[in-house]
Amino acid sequence: MNLRDYEGIAEPGDLRAIEHMAARLVGKKMLHVNSTAAGGGVAELLARMVPLFQGLGLDVRWEVMQADRPFFEVTKNIHNSLQGQGAPLTKEMWEIYRAVNIENAERIDLDADFTVIHDPQPAMFIDYRKRGLWIWRCHIDISTPVQMTWHFLKDIVKKYEASVFSVANFAQSLPITQFLMQPTIDPLAEKNVQIEDDEVRAIYERLGVPMDKPILLQVSRFDPFKDPIGVIEAYRLAKKYHDCRLVLAGGTATDDPEGEKVLAEVQEKCGNDPDIHILLLPPFSDREVNALQRGATIVLQKSTREGFGLVVAEALWKKKPVIAGDVGGIPLQVIEGVTGYLVHSVEGTAYRIRQLLENPELARHMGEAGREHIRRNFITTKNIRNYLGFWTALEKKEKVIYV
Amino acid sequence: MEEKKTFRFYECFALTTLTGRRAANIVEFVEILKSASPEAIFHHMHQYFLKPHAVMPEFPNDFAVWVSESLSEPLLAEALANINPFEFSNIEDLRSEILRIIENYLRSYPPPRPVLPGREFMFNEGITIVIPTDIEAAQIHDFVQKLKTVDYSSIYFHFYESRLRLGRPTDDFSEFLATSLDSPGVAAKIKSLDPYMYSTEVLRDKIVKLVEEAL
Repeated sequence: MNLRDYEGIAEPGDLRAIEHMAARLVGKKMLHVNSTAAGGGVAELLARMVPLFQGLGLDVRWEVMQADRPFFEVTKNIHNSLQGQGAPLTKEMWEIYRAVNIENAERIDLDADFTVIHDPQPAMFIDYRKRGLWIWRCHIDISTPVQMTWHFLKDIVKKYEASVFSVANFAQSLPITQFLMQPTIDPLAEKNVQIEDDEVRAIYERLGVPMDKPILLQVSRFDPFKDPIGVIEAYRLAKKYHDCRLVLAGGTATDDPEGEKVLAEVQEKCGNDPDIHILLLPPFSDREVNALQRGATIVLQKSTREGFGLVVAEALWKKKPVIAGDVGGIPLQVIEGVTGYLVHSVEGTAYRIRQLLENPELARHMGEAGREHIRRNFITTKNIRNYLGFWTALEKKEKVIYV
Repeated sequence: MEEKKTFRFYECFALTTLTGRRAANIVEFVEILKSASPEAIFHHMHQYFLKPHAVMPEFPNDFAVWVSESLSEPLLAEALANINPFEFSNIEDLRSEILRIIENYLRSYPPPRPVLPGREFMFNEGITIVIPTDIEAAQIHDFVQKLKTVDYSSIYFHFYESRLRLGRPTDDFSEFLATSLDSPGVAAKIKSLDPYMYSTEVLRDKIVKLVEEAL
């Protein structure tokens, strides 16, 4: 995989900018550090970006923390706490966090010209900086944190040259440069790559979903904030006017007690309706998700709370109109009345479903606009360009930089 | 002399930086605007012209869009949308004009309600990265062909940013056509285009049409 594979998809100007900036960085060392090698959006993003950086001649490494369950329990607490949920962390928890960070920072070679630390888990690596520029890439919403947790983290983060947030509203006030960079999807990845109609039909058949009626789809974890119950209620209101099917596709949730509880509620709510299909997809079902999105008539993401919500970008990329909650990063992707509709209630969702089912031409136009909106703003090459831009900007320290 | 006769296209992109300052109502907005950096005001009045748009926003500056979409004050939004940033030779005059419009409005109408959570106005700034391309033109036919292929950001750089760089209401395209290609007629027509009324994509089409008509 290399940059020129994106010709015909990415803006040609972005490809030229990337190659031009990379040319002066050839041979320089870039390091990314995160906490997991697989599973989760960050690992997915890095798995796609690192080979592209390597193809540009940069000496890029991606290092993953080694840690055991107690550390990840602590960092899950930190994660929740930064998002305003849960209790402040105890002294013992911070000790675990500190010890695992020290152990990993001493194990990993931190010699690089440009280091990107992803999320709070390895944030303390900054204390072991050897040289170069360091940025902290925050992928989560920390706008309303538990204050004690944020104060602890803030003291660490302010040692970096810069931080990067996905949405302006997700950020905190910091005495360092704060960049804005939206996450992106990779149009060439298994989850988004073009697949033929025959394969879409075959996957639907294998998953036991007939394609005989319009299909409403929501792909998400069984999480109360994704409001699957509200989705079923909206489907029922719309179904009085339009015969359709509802597909709720999510993970198996076996290691998540709360997910199991929500799934049980969803199953009860569905009753014996043969037109509702609950699909428990195993990990690494990217091809199936791709096919489900391509076979859907309308994609829903009725979240009441959301991070960036890249699943919306995935659906828009496949020319599907999206009806979604007006939260998190969704309004950046769903432009009201143009690429889909932003909704605030079950009734609003049902109304918009009826409107689009009644008017397939409108749905088609929205799908076309959605794909173009994503192509121009939310594909991998934008992130590659911006990382090189951050590197350049932090080196040059000017407002207008001629590269 | 030979070099002057070749037009080299530059492209650019903006990195957005966050200031951490946010306004949830018009009073907070005015207070922050009074002390916001010149870079922040420039960013919010100009980024429309540099951002890629698959879908055109209702108004061409961030202040007007926020007032319209989040504060739901169409009258004030229209007044702010009507400010042409390219008419101002410095940011302080532009800041004063924005404040004057809002303060006039607040003298005549009750203050609007605060925005819903998550709809606060976030004051940001921008860093522009300029990239020289290998795309060059020495003749008018070649120039117009290349103009069709460069990134939309090249139109921004040579038509909008040039006004700031050169310190006068002109652009690189008309300068080149008038001085190096001896085409003062088409140069004058391009120079007279109102930069505030077009996105870069539409502006490109306009310029291409003007040059092709002159051929």
